[in-house]
Amino acid sequence: MGETLKDRLVVTNDTKFLIVVRDFVSRCIRQSRLAREEENKVILAVDEAVTNIIEHGYDEGAEGSIEIEIEGTEEQFKVMIRDTGRVFNPESIPDPDMKDHVHRGHKKGLGIFLMRQIMDEVRYKFKDGVKNELTLVKFIR
Amino acid sequence: MPAFQIVKEKLPEGVVFLGVRGFLDAHTFEELEKAINDIFEEGIYKLVVDLAGLDYISSAGAGVFIGAIGTAQENDGNIILMKPSPNVKEVFDLLGLSQIFTFRDSRDEAAKALR
Repeated sequence: MGETLKDRLVVTNDTKFLIVVRDFVSRCIRQSRLAREEENKVILAVDEAVTNIIEHGYDEGAEGSIEIEIEGTEEQFKVMIRDTGRVFNPESIPDPDMKDHVHRGHKKGLGIFLMRQIMDEVRYKFKDGVKNELTLVKFIR
Repeated sequence: MPAFQIVKEKLPEGVVFLGVRGFLDAHTFEELEKAINDIFEEGIYKLVVDLAGLDYISSAGAGVFIGAIGTAQENDGNIILMKPSPNVKEVFDLLGLSQIFTFRDSRDEAAKALR
């Protein structure tokens, strides 16, 4: 059994930090057993999750923090994203009909669809009075 | 180096070329959205967007093209995308947008697709 990779990053809810989040995830993936061809996609899934929290989690102008914790093992690459913002369960959002989306010029709501397309597991948990926790898992094949 | 850059150039036959570089995400997409809206306001709806210099795109970035293509097509125009890197093309594929957008490998071919 190899060692477990563990790392953690905390950013405030500002899109300027997305680049920091992506660099962090990229660094972790390169230290993990995850195949290199999955790198861009898994970075994207985490970016989409964090973007959703920045855009919808907090009231305009309110500062909040977002914690990204990564655990990599022989079997899986797991990302836990926690925030103390508004309760938001992505499981409640249906997949978009892309032709209709384009026809109507809808630009939003694609992030959750991408997360589901990319990751093997997307789980949401609300810890009462504490925080939202979204877990994204990619199995190592 | 800025996270995102746009180069704009007018081509013959009422076509505008946009070269985009860097990262197109929730932090930078508004810059591209504004550039495209400004072009539409000039009454130009034929766009060639060169993605070769784009290192990364998220759904916020792809959303700019989703929002704009309908307006372009309703005005007898279109948005032709050029030379995405494999990582960027992968995002269009994942979103199911590769069947909706036209991709070309050169400016000439892209301009031809707009005639």
